[in-house]
Amino acid sequence: MSREEVLERLQPVFRDVFDDDSITVTAETTAADVDGWDSLEHINLINAVEQAFGMKFDMGQILTMKNVGEMADIILSRI
Amino acid sequence: MLSWSMELTSFRFLCFFALLLFLWYFLPVLTGGRGQRMVLLAASLLYYLFAGNGLLILFPLTSALATFWCVRGITKTEKTDTRRRRGFLIFLMVVLLGSLVAFKVMGYFGIRPGGYGAPLGLSFYTFILLGYFLDVYNGIDEGGVDLAGTVLGGMYFPLMTSGPIVRFKDFAGQFSLRHRLQYDALVFGLQRMLWGFFKQLVISQRLGKIVDTVYAAGSGYTGWYIWLGTVCFAFQLYTNFSGCMDIVLGLSEALGLSLPENFRLPFLSRTISEYWRRWHITLGTWMRDMVFYPLLRSRFFMEQGKRLTARFGKKTGKKLNTWGAMFVLWLSVGFWHGGALKYVIGSGLLHWLYIVVGEATQPFFTKLLSERLHLDPKSRFLDALRVIRTFFLVCVGFVFFRADSTGHACLLLFRALPWKTAVPPDGGLFAMGLGWIEWGVLLISLVILIAVELINEKHSDGGGIRNRIAAMPIAIRWLLWFALLFYVVLLGEYGPGYSAAEFIYRGF
Repeated sequence: MSREEVLERLQPVFRDVFDDDSITVTAETTAADVDGWDSLEHINLINAVEQAFGMKFDMGQILTMKNVGEMADIILSRI
Repeated sequence: MLSWSMELTSFRFLCFFALLLFLWYFLPVLTGGRGQRMVLLAASLLYYLFAGNGLLILFPLTSALATFWCVRGITKTEKTDTRRRRGFLIFLMVVLLGSLVAFKVMGYFGIRPGGYGAPLGLSFYTFILLGYFLDVYNGIDEGGVDLAGTVLGGMYFPLMTSGPIVRFKDFAGQFSLRHRLQYDALVFGLQRMLWGFFKQLVISQRLGKIVDTVYAAGSGYTGWYIWLGTVCFAFQLYTNFSGCMDIVLGLSEALGLSLPENFRLPFLSRTISEYWRRWHITLGTWMRDMVFYPLLRSRFFMEQGKRLTARFGKKTGKKLNTWGAMFVLWLSVGFWHGGALKYVIGSGLLHWLYIVVGEATQPFFTKLLSERLHLDPKSRFLDALRVIRTFFLVCVGFVFFRADSTGHACLLLFRALPWKTAVPPDGGLFAMGLGWIEWGVLLISLVILIAVELINEKHSDGGGIRNRIAAMPIAIRWLLWFALLFYVVLLGEYGPGYSAAEFIYRGF
């Protein structure tokens, strides 16, 4: 799977978690760009992404990832 | 028990700090730069001994030693050896949290073995050290801090009063660097300390007198007097705690060390969640990373989440599960503040309730605002109302925090109901511990505080108000700082024997 494909598959997950069909996910998207992506929702997003890709993040990765691009890279290294 | 006042605003402490400052920059010149951090380690140990805790120093030392040993243990363990890694985790949690819980519970029942209370800084060094281990455990921090560095990281003396709860990965590395005297950092640091003294000695102490009058047992105040006392307490606690942080961060800056900020205009928060991102920031971050996230990642909450989603649908199920984990989180926050029920409610579960009710009623209010009242939910007017609402809710929590007990808090809240007539006690406002001159000083000082903090926030990208002042002509610059110095010296409330402000948060 390429990075673009991962981002493409992340989009519906984001839209579902944040309940907003207008979200467009790019590698540069950060929590500041998405309404409702606060520290509480972050962990729900992580759980949803894990379920969608059938992989697990480390706690360290969860706390340090800075944007969706980093999230996609971790996913690529795990599947 | 040997007990010397070592309050951060005491004269003795200032002498201690001046001596430390001199040795910190001067000794390394003699040794060719080696051993600088040993000055700080010695100062931290001496501070601990002098601050009236004597033998109790064994507790933080044991905690630091155990942390050092466990961190070294897991860095030498293969990542795949989950059993061994878990062993270290459980051992350290028992050692650190065991003593924390034991002392909190003993405090609740008023038990003081051998006449000693809890060790100084217990809540702070426990979280700092445990946080360090967990960061290494989670792969965020590489570990590798030596024994002296671990002891210093956990027991760095300014942190023993009220934090902040530092993260080792940002903090401990600074000790191994050589710190040369930098004029700017020294001056900025001292300025910030002065600002902290202003908050503590001029404002917080005066507010405390009003609060003590209103909250005294059997004071008989009703109606808006109670709210006045409570708003005063909110600002007393804020100026006391954030003033303490200004002193701690300022003196660290003078030493060339950088610590995380703990406050960002918390009373301007629009929601309770936002409030906890702006009040005691390092505690909020710690609780989120070390308690809340691991909880929601635990097998119990993952399974529970699936069950709730199957039963109540995706959205509601997810919410219910998050609220469950938040309950544990807020219970921990409340308990951290003290074992007593009033803390568990006022600083914990009440805030949990606010957030849950807020989230549950949000769809209703959003609909009401936009469809019925035709208001833009993002308008400044509504934001202002949200700020007032949030401040009010926080104040209700503070009633519990300040009252003698949960019962006392409920009585005060009942008496504060708007239809309870506020019979002014003899003398009205001027019989609340402050005469009219004192009220004047207090109000002027509050105006200065609020103006400075707002300007500071506005210029936060450019290094805040102090950078603006530093860019002014030298005469104005000196005039401003000396005016503040004289203001504090002349109008500071030093209390009996210059024991100075008691730090409200020290008890935790």
